[in-house]
Amino acid sequence: MTTALDVHAERWWSAAGVGLLLPIALLITWQVLGTAVGTPRTPLPVNILKAAAAMIASGDLPAALLQSLGRVFGGFLLAAMLAIPLGLLMGYSRSAERNLDPLVETFRPIAAIAILPLAILWLGTGTSAAVAIVGYAAFFPLIVNAVAGAKHVNPTLLRAAATMGLDRMTTIRTVVIPAALPSIGVGLRIAMGVGWTAIVAAELAVGAKAGGGGSGGIGQMMFVFYAYSIELNRIIVCMIAVGLVALLLDRMLRALMRKLMPWASP
Amino acid sequence: MNSQRVGVHAPPGRTWGALVYVRTMLVFAVVWALVAWWTDNPVLLPSPVTVLDAAIDLARDLELFEQAGISLGRMVISISLACVLAIPLGFAMGLSRRFDRAVDPTLEMLRPISGIAWIPLALFIFGIGNALPLFIMTYAAFFPILVGTVAAVRSVDRRLVDVARTMGIPQRTIVTRIVAPAALPSLLVALRLGVALSWTAVVAAELIGAPSGLGYAVEWYRELLMTPQVMSFIAMIGVIGYLCDAGVRWINRRFTPWAQLRR
Repeated sequence: MTTALDVHAERWWSAAGVGLLLPIALLITWQVLGTAVGTPRTPLPVNILKAAAAMIASGDLPAALLQSLGRVFGGFLLAAMLAIPLGLLMGYSRSAERNLDPLVETFRPIAAIAILPLAILWLGTGTSAAVAIVGYAAFFPLIVNAVAGAKHVNPTLLRAAATMGLDRMTTIRTVVIPAALPSIGVGLRIAMGVGWTAIVAAELAVGAKAGGGGSGGIGQMMFVFYAYSIELNRIIVCMIAVGLVALLLDRMLRALMRKLMPWASP
Repeated sequence: MNSQRVGVHAPPGRTWGALVYVRTMLVFAVVWALVAWWTDNPVLLPSPVTVLDAAIDLARDLELFEQAGISLGRMVISISLACVLAIPLGFAMGLSRRFDRAVDPTLEMLRPISGIAWIPLALFIFGIGNALPLFIMTYAAFFPILVGTVAAVRSVDRRLVDVARTMGIPQRTIVTRIVAPAALPSLLVALRLGVALSWTAVVAAELIGAPSGLGYAVEWYRELLMTPQVMSFIAMIGVIGYLCDAGVRWINRRFTPWAQLRR
C-alpha cells in the first residue's frame, strides 16, 4: 500500500521529470546540431551559459536590467498617479465617465510603441522618452480596471453610506476605494507586464533609430549585440533575462496582492 | 444593482452617446489647437487642422490605406498561423493530462519572453523584410490563444463528456461535437487578446525591421520631421486596432450566440 505522501511525492516526481524531459532533450539536440552543422556564430546552450556568467560577472547585465527597471517603475508610478484617481472618479460618477470615456477609448487602441516616434520628437532619445512610453502603456490597463472596480461596488453599501449621511469624499475613501482595490490590483499587475514589454520595445527602437546613442537599458543592450558586436549568445542571455524579470515582477505583484488584499480572490 | 443606476441616468439612446463623444473630442481638439498655437512650432506640435489636412492628403494618395493594408495583411496571416499552431496544441493539452505535463513546462519557460524581445535575434535570422513581423506577431498571438484554448477545453462541463461516453459516442465525435462547441466562446475571447497583442507587436516589429507597413511609415515620416504625417499614421494604427477588436467581438456575438445568453 502506498500512503498519500508517497503518491504525492511520486506524482511530483513524475510531473517534474516528464516536464523537464522535453526541454533537456531540446537543449541537447540544439547543442549537438549546432556544433555539427552550425557556423562559429551559431548560439549554443553551453556558450550561452558562458556568456551569461561573463555578463553577470562584469556587472553589465545587472546594470542594464536595473536601468530598465528604474524606467519601468518611473513610468508606472506616473501612470498610476494619474490613472487610478481618474478611474475611481469615472467609476463613481456617471457624468465624469460619460465625458472622459471617449478620450480613453480613442487613445486606448493606439499601441504604446506607435507613440514612440512622437516621444522621441518631444523628449529626445533618453530616459524621459522611455518613461513616457511605459507610462502610456501602463495607463490604460490601470484606468480600465480602476473604473471597473469602482463600478462594481455593492450598491447596498453605497446606500448604507448615503443613509448614514456620509459626504462624498468619505464615501469614496471608506466604501469605493476598498471595494475597488482588488480590481485595481489586477490592473497594476497587467500594467506592470505591459510596461516591461514596452520598455524593451522602446529601448530597442531607440537603439535602432538613434544609432545606439547612449540611452542604455536592456533593450538597448540587445540592439548593440545585434547591430555592432554580433553576439547571438549574448542576445539570448538578454532574452532570458527579460523573461525572468517579467516572471519575477508578476510573481512579486501577485504575492503582494495576496498579502495586502486577502479578501480578493487571486 | 447597476441596472437601477442605468435606469435612472440612462442616456437617451445612441445619438446622445455620439454627441457626448463629439463634444469631448471637440474640447480635446480645441485644447490641442491652443497648445499648438502657444508652442508655435509646427514640427513639434502641428495644429489639429494641419494634421487633418495631412491625413486627407495621405488618404487621397491611398498611401494611408496601402500601408494599413500591408500591416493588416500581415496580422491576418500571423493570426491564422498562430491559430493553426496553438488551437490543436491547446486541445491536445486540454484533453490529455499526460501530454500537458510533458509540454507545459517548456512552453511556460518561453511564455514570459515577450515577442518584442525576439526582435534582435529574429532580425539576425530573417533580416529586414516580411518574415520578421510575421514571426514576431505569430509568436505574440500564439501564447494567449494557446492558454485560452487549454483553459476553454478544461472548463467544458465534465458531465456532458461523461454522458456522451456512457452513450458510447466515439472520442472523436465527443471532441468535435461537445468539447469544441463548448470551448468556442472562451476560445474566441482568447483570440481577441491574441489579436490585440499581435497588433501591438506589428507596430514594434515594423518600426524596427520592416520596409513597409504602418509602423515603418510612422518612423519614416518622423525622420523627415513631417509630424502631421506621423500623427496621421499613428491615428490609423489606432483606428485599425479598434476595428480589429470590434471585428473579433462581432464574430463572438455572431457565432457563439449560446454564450451570450448566459450573461
